[in-house]
Amino acid sequence: MPFETVNSKVVRARVSPQAPVLARRGAMLGYSGRVGFRPVRGQGGGMAGFLGAAVSGETNPMMATEGQGEVLYGYRGLHVTVLELDGSAPLVCEADRLLAHDAGLQTSVQFLGSGGVRAAVGGAMTGQGLFTTNVHGRGAVALLSHGGAFPLQVAGTSIGVDPQAYVGHVGQLQVDVAARMGLRDAVGRGSGEAFQLRISGSGTVYVQASEQKF
Amino acid sequence: MQTWNPATLPADDNVNPHVFCVALSGEWFMAKGAMLAYYGDVRFEAVTAYSSVASWVAARFSSPVYVQDWVVAAGHGKVLLGDRGFDLNAYDLDDGNLTIKANNLLAFDQRLELKQSIVPGFVTLLGTGKFIASSNGPVIFVEPPFRADPDALLGWADCPSPSVHHDTEWMSASMAGMLQGAMGRASGEERQYDFTGQGTVLLQSSEIAREDPAVLRLIESQTQLLTTSQAGTLGQRLVARAQQQQH
Repeated sequence: MPFETVNSKVVRARVSPQAPVLARRGAMLGYSGRVGFRPVRGQGGGMAGFLGAAVSGETNPMMATEGQGEVLYGYRGLHVTVLELDGSAPLVCEADRLLAHDAGLQTSVQFLGSGGVRAAVGGAMTGQGLFTTNVHGRGAVALLSHGGAFPLQVAGTSIGVDPQAYVGHVGQLQVDVAARMGLRDAVGRGSGEAFQLRISGSGTVYVQASEQKF
Repeated sequence: MQTWNPATLPADDNVNPHVFCVALSGEWFMAKGAMLAYYGDVRFEAVTAYSSVASWVAARFSSPVYVQDWVVAAGHGKVLLGDRGFDLNAYDLDDGNLTIKANNLLAFDQRLELKQSIVPGFVTLLGTGKFIASSNGPVIFVEPPFRADPDALLGWADCPSPSVHHDTEWMSASMAGMLQGAMGRASGEERQYDFTGQGTVLLQSSEIAREDPAVLRLIESQTQLLTTSQAGTLGQRLVARAQQQQH
């Protein structure tokens, strides 16, 4: 496990030549040892990944941390949650929630939701990104959240999540943007919870204790 | 880190300091945006829409200014609440009254009655029941006599509504003519809310400013007290202030 939590908002990463770390640019707080930082593009996956990132706007300036030493990461006083991915299913989240991850993990851009114009309109109106980042492989990820993220299990049933409070998910899950209200609600006179993400299947959803993004 | 599911989530208790879980069975009033996630069969309806199917809603929610910022959650399930990552606490009222900053009130059960406080930006809960409120840092309880900074004041219970106290030095300077008019002169600590009598005052670490849309509606409704010429003067001053702040 390369990430160790120092407190709720700072993690310490052990970097070695065999295990470099990718981190959000500007998130390095301090380090010890012989460590170098090199800017990289946020999206892997070659040309397809590059195009996907350009089209979606789902990109994030990242840097590779290489060498031998210990590095502290944190960003704007946001809470940090460390997840361990076992490789069975990707982590789905927005790119700018990624504080740091094992360089061995692959990232790619994915379209969120079941598709169709209805879902697209719903996503645009809630401010929730239509495109999200998938993190594949086996390794550790440090995620940013406002107010701290907590895991909720979905097993067979479904769960409703406020799009502003949604952080990410892991597992065989289907995400639908449920815009079940009419146009009247979209302009703010109806229920404030008119737009919801309906998440069903089996897996874990991460939710933060705030409606603020950052 | 524990992964929660509907069975392991607490019933009407904190999941962690920033998240509260309501075991819903029936109806609760909830502030728009307070819901983070929910399990079960729960519907969220605007208070205005719900009042057409449940006539008691109008009797419980007695505040036209705030009604559009609230929803009724109805059904059965577990609803998770949060607000800006603030600390969340549940309070039980037993045939009592408590006034709280409207921005910090997240939810209350349908046995309680909500009314607008005389103090702008605050609402009063009356009766017996449970409500959930947020605070920036833990809540501090103090007893009157006490003067509270308006930003740090979270609410008060059982004591009379506060009066506004102005710092004596600021007042004497003001009366000496160095400062004039109420507008655009607020600069810091010269104004406090003054509590007297028996009761409890609730404080939080200083508020993180968030625009309360109801304050505009509240003040706008009070401009009906003005005569036409007074309203015109106020309009000119507001325009002047807006122009000044642009530069």
